[in-house]
Amino acid sequence: MEKILHKERLDDWIAALSDREILSPALEDGVWAFRPAGAAVRLDYPNTTQPPKGLAFPQREVFFSFEQVKGEAPLLRQTLPQVAQRVVFGVRPCDGRAVPRMDKVFSDHVEDPYYWARRKQVAYVGLACQQPPSSNCFCQSVGGSPVSSDGLDVLLTDLGERYFAAAVSETGKALMMAGESLFEAATDADRAQLQGAHAAALARPQRAVRDPDALPSKLKASFDSPLWEELARACIGCGICTFLCPTCHCFDINDEVTGAAPLKGKRVRTWDTCQFPDFTMHTSGHNPRENSGARLRQRVSHKFQYFHENFAMHQCTGCGRCVTGCPVGIDIVSVVNKVAEHAG
Amino acid sequence: MINLQDIRDTARDLLASGEVRAVIGFRSGSRGMAAEPAFITRPEEADELVWDPTCFHNLALYLVEDRKFQAHARANPAAPIAVVAKGCDARAIVVLLQEHYFKRDQVYIIGVSCEGSGVLDERKLAGHLNGFPATSAAFDGDDFVFVTAQGEQRLPAREVMAERCLECREPYPREHNVVLGENRSGRELALPFAALTRFEAQSPAERWEFWQRHFERCIRCYACRSVCPMCFCDECVVDSITYPVTAETTAEEKANRVRWIERSATRSENITYHMTRAMHLAGRCVDCGECERVCPVNIPLRLLNNKMEREARERFGYEPGASIGGPSLVASFRDDDPGQFIR
Amino acid sequence: MQDNVYLPQLARVVRIADEVAGERAIKTYHVEPLDSAGFEHACGQCAMLSIFGRGEMMISIASSPLVKEYKQFTIMRTGRVSLAFHELAVGDVVGMRGPYGNSFPIEAWRGKNLVFIGGGVGLAPIWPLITTAMAQRGDFGDIGVFYSTRSSSIMYRAELEALRGQADVHLEGWRTHQAGVAAGTAEQTVTAENSVAVVCGPPAMIKSVIQNLCQLGFADEQIFTTLENKMKCGVGKCGRCNVGKDYVCVKGPVYSWAELKKLPQEY
Repeated sequence: MEKILHKERLDDWIAALSDREILSPALEDGVWAFRPAGAAVRLDYPNTTQPPKGLAFPQREVFFSFEQVKGEAPLLRQTLPQVAQRVVFGVRPCDGRAVPRMDKVFSDHVEDPYYWARRKQVAYVGLACQQPPSSNCFCQSVGGSPVSSDGLDVLLTDLGERYFAAAVSETGKALMMAGESLFEAATDADRAQLQGAHAAALARPQRAVRDPDALPSKLKASFDSPLWEELARACIGCGICTFLCPTCHCFDINDEVTGAAPLKGKRVRTWDTCQFPDFTMHTSGHNPRENSGARLRQRVSHKFQYFHENFAMHQCTGCGRCVTGCPVGIDIVSVVNKVAEHAG
Repeated sequence: MINLQDIRDTARDLLASGEVRAVIGFRSGSRGMAAEPAFITRPEEADELVWDPTCFHNLALYLVEDRKFQAHARANPAAPIAVVAKGCDARAIVVLLQEHYFKRDQVYIIGVSCEGSGVLDERKLAGHLNGFPATSAAFDGDDFVFVTAQGEQRLPAREVMAERCLECREPYPREHNVVLGENRSGRELALPFAALTRFEAQSPAERWEFWQRHFERCIRCYACRSVCPMCFCDECVVDSITYPVTAETTAEEKANRVRWIERSATRSENITYHMTRAMHLAGRCVDCGECERVCPVNIPLRLLNNKMEREARERFGYEPGASIGGPSLVASFRDDDPGQFIR
Repeated sequence: MQDNVYLPQLARVVRIADEVAGERAIKTYHVEPLDSAGFEHACGQCAMLSIFGRGEMMISIASSPLVKEYKQFTIMRTGRVSLAFHELAVGDVVGMRGPYGNSFPIEAWRGKNLVFIGGGVGLAPIWPLITTAMAQRGDFGDIGVFYSTRSSSIMYRAELEALRGQADVHLEGWRTHQAGVAAGTAEQTVTAENSVAVVCGPPAMIKSVIQNLCQLGFADEQIFTTLENKMKCGVGKCGRCNVGKDYVCVKGPVYSWAELKKLPQEY
């Protein structure tokens, strides 16, 4: 389904979806974030600091609560999320492509009930990037594109006064049908304009990971390379790169106790990161990834080798957040290029 | 104006003579114009070093890292490690020396004066650039000069200079082995504690609302702690990520360890984390501003630390990083200290 | 398996046996699901055990799949959760979910000689194999059981002694984890031909035993071990046990040496 939406009707379309929760990019305290949509939604933003990942995989998820009188059987109360339908506007194509990657992780082997309870309620209305929103964008070199609709439900392309709206899923069609009278049919001229806009977007220079198809084997060959240690020399071991990543999914599970007698508390999932030194530490003190070089290697190899070996696609979607956000300039593009070059 | 060649020559000579075993400085990064930390051990690498307004990092952090590495390796290298240090970085080194984290002869300070300027605030610049990347940056007197695809542009320096630099009282590394650039400590760019003073003009209710909103956003990436040279504890009180577990650590030690905060990034836990950190920085924070710079969600952490700094200054006449041999704020007592609690 | 993989079923501790005393004491637990539904498992699989308020830990199931009424777990007192297990009394209720991971291909080993080498608490993960093989003794050739431990205390001592007569049991004087030591007693009693060796223990011990087995002529495909990485979710999502492309909680913990060699050395 391909339609035209005049920009001044965007708010009307959003109003037509009022039985759902609508999120859109907003600048708050200097941070672009997906926030409940206000009166006037604007989609001329660079990119959000954090991807919309948290809508399906929030930083904190309560699995269940427990209550136990000493010596008796505990009472467990499962807390599967009950969330309204949500539509998130202005999702960039790199973040759209993250969605099927996260879906794979949370459905491979067994389905994760918490992820899917949220995920099934989210619809993604994307916005094609006509200018790279960040100087660290590299989506085209990892199989994506600034106009990709992969993982999205609707892709909007800015045609000046109007949006070209393409529904790419049944959910997307339903969203557009809900505001049917607001849309106009797309003409051949509109399609030609769209193609021109997309071609121009694709031609904008970006950073690039070189020869991405060769990366799985090159990374495999570079496992013992001394380069890792050198490239991670400045790493401070914080979690920015992974916490801002649209596809990082590692987590921790802990019991949070709120009362002693009877014992009361919650079992909680929180984001975790392979960049924290104790992430892999055994209870014996043995740590398979003891230094920052090994941890950088894990992050990069997971993105460009391990995930590829399992799902035949790179996990990294080239949003560049880890590059922009790193306090000390560790740059995944330059890291993989250097390692690959070294591997010959 | 510091001549970059002087920094490079200094580093090269130190390495060539074997006077130092490594130099920690700045070099050009691969993403945009921002510099990144450089670790060089060979004289010929000295030409990689740069000095410009994107040399934000407080490299004293890596002296701490080096010390930890040497301790882990049970090494005690004879030659010191050299570090390029701005005024604030040098104050951090003084605090570390004061706390006996390492000895004075284990570090060689290549001091660099910020003279009339300081470092850039990338967020402020981004506000002026509308997403266009800049490829180079320099301060030129009262101007900030940068180059984008549109050509060379100028802005008043104070519009893009980091707040901490505007408020800096000592943009000159008093403690040093060698120092480059003029001492312009008397410069007046903004009043000390200007941002804090503006903030404190608000009512307590407004301030509480402000902090709640900001702490709500914290994603607990711990970058503020990880980047701080003062946060060197092997075991951090607020979480377990650096807790040293060895084959000798008993089950009791692991089990009985107090969990001061949960890993959940909720407002109350986040506040506890940041308040605890601020308290531990009282009399130690030298206002390098790195915690605030690196925060991915823009939490104004400097205000917290500035508050502690001003309290120490006004109530105890204490200035962190002023003297290696002097008493530390929290470990010393004087008869004329205000308050009765200790008497 | 339940719909919600993270929700443990409740299970009652019906028996606690002291195996080894001391700082790193070892105890064995028999645990019965409260709703009697439980789950079936295979040799080598694991379960996530919970003490509510303390947390969860992954522990290998030490009972044979032939035992249906309870699951056996042998737990060393080493961390937060295991310490809490050591404070339990019979009748206490804990959480259990599973089974997780792959299993030993015991069906393919029928007719073969089996060599079991356990170090310390590492005997537990291979104990279901040993007990299953003994229960089906006629299906297998020679069975050798070698146990070594840093202390002089031997877990499952009575059970191991009871194997004598039907298996070649060595409980002392076999310190294979000292690098460079040849296979000692094993050299005289173990042959690679038509044999499978299963080794489990501390990482250093596993590495040296595998070297010794290779010297004895065992092919990489004849040697099996289990990886014990840190785990949290048990279902291949949380990323903690990740080694190369494998989430050990799903693709492991059982690996042949041939398979393990293909993974990065990050365990």
